Amino acid sequence: MAPLQKRALYGLVIGVVWAIAIIVVFMAKGGVNAYTGDPGMRAILVALFIGGLIAYLAILFTLRRKRGQVEATMDERDKVIMGRAPVVQLWAVFISLAIWSIALTEIYWDQGQIPVIFPYLILMSLFIVNVLSQSIGILIGYWRMR
Amino acid sequence: MPKIEIKNRIRRLRFDHDEMTQEELASRAGCTRQTIIALEQGKYVPSITLAFSIARALGVTLEEVFQYEETSR
Repeated sequence: MAPLQKRALYGLVIGVVWAIAIIVVFMAKGGVNAYTGDPGMRAILVALFIGGLIAYLAILFTLRRKRGQVEATMDERDKVIMGRAPVVQLWAVFISLAIWSIALTEIYWDQGQIPVIFPYLILMSLFIVNVLSQSIGILIGYWRMR
Repeated sequence: MPKIEIKNRIRRLRFDHDEMTQEELASRAGCTRQTIIALEQGKYVPSITLAFSIARALGVTLEEVFQYEETSR
């Protein structure tokens, strides 16, 4: 397995764990209604979000640090595969935004406004979708070039 | 319209070079072992820079390693 492929796989695992952890905590603590009145819940969610981001960046850093090795860890083929991943990322982010927009509009149509928590949740979800879709895009690239 | 294929003799040339390993060739050419595997399987066409690096690592000319083939569909 190529180092970049390995990194993508770790990224995928981290992204899935990250998403599940945030969703589970959010639901367990009471969801949208509890968020505004519970600073502890907000702190946990932010900590989870930043923790996941740090874990993902740590993987990127580890890959870059290994560049001094005798065997290259990332070559032109890896760069070609990595260069194609943003197509998957773009579609994933676009679809996520479409889902958020349609869902929030339909759910809160009668109230005429959406709870203030949602811009935060959209931001968090887009970061996670970005990490997941980049990893998936890279893995698809390797699978197609297999 | 003719179909263009870039074939290579990397596997054969490695064998001729005292059974040079894929890892050794990758190290000499400055790429990963996975790229050598993909090249040998015909799944990847290298850039001109990598093609020259591989030819140089094997001690042969570019055309001894890579062949440009046009076939009618």
